[in-house]
Amino acid sequence: MQTITKYSEEELVILLRAQDQSAFSYLYDNYAAALNGIITRMVDDTQLAEDILQEAFLKIWNNFKQYDTSKGRLFTWMINITRNLTIDTLRSKGYKKGKKISQDENSVTTYQDKSFTSEKFDTIGLRKQLQHLKPEQKVIIDMAYFSGYTQEEISKEMEIPLGTVKTRMRTAIIELRKLLQ
Amino acid sequence: MEKQEIISSGLLEMYVIGAASIEESAQVELLRSQYPEIDEEIINIEKAFEAYAFANAVTPSSSVKNELFSSLNFTNQPTNSSEPVQSAKVVQMSSPLRSVAAAAAVLLLIGSTVLNFFYYNKYQDVNGKYAESQQQIASLNQHLTEVDKDLSIVQSKYSEPVSLKGLEAAPDAGAKIFWMKNTGEVYVDPTNMPMAPAGKQYQLWAIVDGKPVDAGMITSKDGKKYSIQKMKSFGKAQAFAITLETEVGNTQPKGVMFVMGEI
Repeated sequence: MQTITKYSEEELVILLRAQDQSAFSYLYDNYAAALNGIITRMVDDTQLAEDILQEAFLKIWNNFKQYDTSKGRLFTWMINITRNLTIDTLRSKGYKKGKKISQDENSVTTYQDKSFTSEKFDTIGLRKQLQHLKPEQKVIIDMAYFSGYTQEEISKEMEIPLGTVKTRMRTAIIELRKLLQ
Repeated sequence: MEKQEIISSGLLEMYVIGAASIEESAQVELLRSQYPEIDEEIINIEKAFEAYAFANAVTPSSSVKNELFSSLNFTNQPTNSSEPVQSAKVVQMSSPLRSVAAAAAVLLLIGSTVLNFFYYNKYQDVNGKYAESQQQIASLNQHLTEVDKDLSIVQSKYSEPVSLKGLEAAPDAGAKIFWMKNTGEVYVDPTNMPMAPAGKQYQLWAIVDGKPVDAGMITSKDGKKYSIQKMKSFGKAQAFAITLETEVGNTQPKGVMFVMGEI
């Protein structure tokens, strides 16, 4: 993805509100793989995952006016739309929440997709960095991030108090932020 | 709750990741609008999670974008002319597509090699045939030149034909002499002579004043059929005859006389 054109998040938001097609193309090119990564972690079926990805982008395009900059960053909003859509789709198909994640909760360190490159992030470097996360920290992030578990559900699943779930999440994110600096 | 307490509680992380309850989310949204520190902290948490998403990225197949854009009636390529020019993107292929493409490339290479081999052979073949044709044309041209030359001798208004008849040794044999009256050149047409046996050659004699005079050896090219050939010139002669002599020829006829004709 060697796109010379670069938009700042503010520019992207303005262009997308104006229904600018090339901005949407840029959005897809830069974020589709990351969103697909989230879906792929939740859905075993590649075809279903790509259907969800396509639907997620349709939703992002059609509901863009609902995006409120004061409630979070653009990509976080996109991630939440994608994650919720995936959870809804799986639920409608009778999947149990977190079915996949419980099977491969350590796959962050082993998962490799060399074809993905991003101008924004050094993906391979990131993956190496993520190996420094403690397993219990990764599990918590993955359960919430890739499975859509609420903190209560994580607490129940891991048999730890709700407060501990939060603080562990906090420590994991602090660790993650340290690794990203 | 104190700002710092909120920040360190892990609630903001839960909020960002969508794992907080509705009440908690409403609380966080209120707090972030009141405290820039909390807003900044949320943004940093979002960035961390976004990076986590990029670290786990999986490139979808290119058909997804095509289908998405055609369902929206978009052209896949950005068309806004006010945008800076974009460089061509390297399209990342999904690994099954990549292996299909690799297999197709290998097949194409094999196909191309086979075709190359086939066409090279064909080229060699045609080239050989062309050279053969060229050779044929050259030999036909040469033959035509010879025939023309022969014909010019026969047709010349100065040529006096002398028929040499077969004698006892070879009653069926025959030869012709074309004697040029203007120049005295003598040509012999020995095409109706039997081939001379190995080690022997025909010799033409002019009978001048009752005596045989050597008029030259009759040759054939590489053992092929005899053709009209130029012999020694004579100002006068009463008859011509051909005898079979040794290859080098003789000053006087020693061998059997095959044909003879008087003028």
